[in-house]
Amino acid sequence: MRVGVVGVGCTKFGKRDITLQELAFEAVSEALKDANLTQDQVDLSVVGCVGTRSYELMPAVPVNEYCGFSGKGPIRVEAACATGSAAVYTAYTSIVSGVVDVAVAIGVEKMTEVETSVSLAVGGRAGNYLWEFHQYGTTFPAYYAMHATAHMARYKTTEKQMALCAVKAHRNAKNNPKAHFQREISVEDVLSSRYICYPLKLYDCSPISDGAAAVVLASEKVVKELNLDAIWIDGIGFSSDTSNMTKRDGFVGLKATVDAAKMAYKMAKINPSDLDLACVHDCFTIAEIMAYEDLGFCKKGEGGRFIEEGESDFGGKIPVNTFGGLKAKGHPLAATGIAMVYEVVKQLREEAEKLQVDLKNYKALTHNVGGTGHFCWIFIFSR
Amino acid sequence: MESRELPLKHQLPISKIEKYWKGLEEGKVYKTVCSCGREYYPPQADCSFCMKETEWVEIDGVGEVEAFTVVYSVPKGFEFARSYTIAIARFGNVKVMGWTEKVKVGDKVVLKTGKDESGVWKVYFEVI
Ligand SMILES: CC(C)(COP(=O)(O)OP(=O)(O)OC[C@H]1O[C@@H](n2cnc3c(N)ncnc32)[C@H](O)[C@@H]1OP(=O)(O)O)[C@@H](O)C(=O)NCCC(=O)NCCS
Ligand SMILES: [Zn+2]
Repeated sequence: MRVGVVGVGCTKFGKRDITLQELAFEAVSEALKDANLTQDQVDLSVVGCVGTRSYELMPAVPVNEYCGFSGKGPIRVEAACATGSAAVYTAYTSIVSGVVDVAVAIGVEKMTEVETSVSLAVGGRAGNYLWEFHQYGTTFPAYYAMHATAHMARYKTTEKQMALCAVKAHRNAKNNPKAHFQREISVEDVLSSRYICYPLKLYDCSPISDGAAAVVLASEKVVKELNLDAIWIDGIGFSSDTSNMTKRDGFVGLKATVDAAKMAYKMAKINPSDLDLACVHDCFTIAEIMAYEDLGFCKKGEGGRFIEEGESDFGGKIPVNTFGGLKAKGHPLAATGIAMVYEVVKQLREEAEKLQVDLKNYKALTHNVGGTGHFCWIFIFSR
Repeated sequence: MESRELPLKHQLPISKIEKYWKGLEEGKVYKTVCSCGREYYPPQADCSFCMKETEWVEIDGVGEVEAFTVVYSVPKGFEFARSYTIAIARFGNVKVMGWTEKVKVGDKVVLKTGKDESGVWKVYFEVI
């Protein structure tokens, strides 16, 4: 049975002085309006929230109540930075199973309620607390920085190539009204910004953002009955890897991405070259370079050259993160995977305005990583 | 407005891996190995695959650095350090995380143990 995305909503990302539930409400009301449905037509709500940086420790019920879904679920989902995609998967499988016909997946995150050093200490627990954070003070930027030094040593990837990912992200985000940052930056700005974790500098990092996104999914039966406008989910891939970095085979890519991609391409019966665009998990610039390689857009080790030659820009081999990426649109953890679906749906409906990509096959991919490849979720959509 | 404070400081249950923590105090770094051939670092008392109990074996010799970073934006709990270098080095079949001085990928290192300024025991690498 096919499942379609029939409504999407996304808040402005950034520092938002409103509660978790008020934030979720903004995204949900936009998504329901977009789908032309009301709460009573929704059977199940899935609430994705990492929730480790905000005061409401068990947020699913307050969010559900405020969005008018009391009695319909909620199922709370957590998969670190891939929480949003795990919520979409949960909604998808509930429909495929035949238990429900219409489900909403909500991803909401408040990251700015604590100070930066606390946010870093929470993110540094996204591996294995006892053996990593407790002893060595790992942080999220540190995990990706270690991948960057390994990639630089093996493939001669440069800080300048990484900087180009940030420059592209900020250039695109300038035209995205939902983005945290709407200003362009230069390669020089990136290279001269302060080190957060060598070799990653301030502008190599996604920011600390608040935000929410929501999607309404419906069975093919309901799409036809109600004559809804649907973007179809053609492929799904998921995988995971060890909590401890030391148990990984290597640090020049994410195995979870490679495995999840294989699964998703197979289910959708396509190759990477069939895609018109992709949203990849660029929480740090090196993550975007590894994603090009791990998703099969270029060969392993050629990610640096791929960005340098404009292959991931408008008009390139495959436009990547035309919405500004996590880097510049922002990365409110649980919202991110769902916000990617929002961006892809806008693109496939040709509603992306200044950021619209030329479509040939009407196929697009979202790639959402939790932790440093601790989780990976990939979806392939078509119109 | 500010919320009420909720201090979270947990008791770490280390009864099954006490040998590791005792080892650090004696200058030794232990991994565990299973009769099925699997080796674990960080060590664990149970083999996740054949469900047997593992045995403790000291790690020594020379390791090779595979990745590193220098942390300048320091997280809460590490205020005592202005910056620090974290590296991952391979020692035979296992990889070990540790703090170190200036390193680069490919450097050869040996293991040391020690306590940081907050009293936590850990592995340090010495570049040779
Ligand atoms: C990189 C990081 C540590 C910087 O935080 P910080 O040191 O507190 O930075 P500040 O908030 O003091 O910001 C200083 C300036 O840089 C800007 N800025 C902050 N982070 C930025 C980023 N990632 N990219 C671009 N600009 C950024 C701020 O807007 C501010 O500008 P202003 O002075 O014009 O207002 C923080 O953004 C971070 O932790 N990012 C990673 C988040 C993460 O790990 N996510 C993954 C999931 S756990
Ligand atoms: Zn075994």
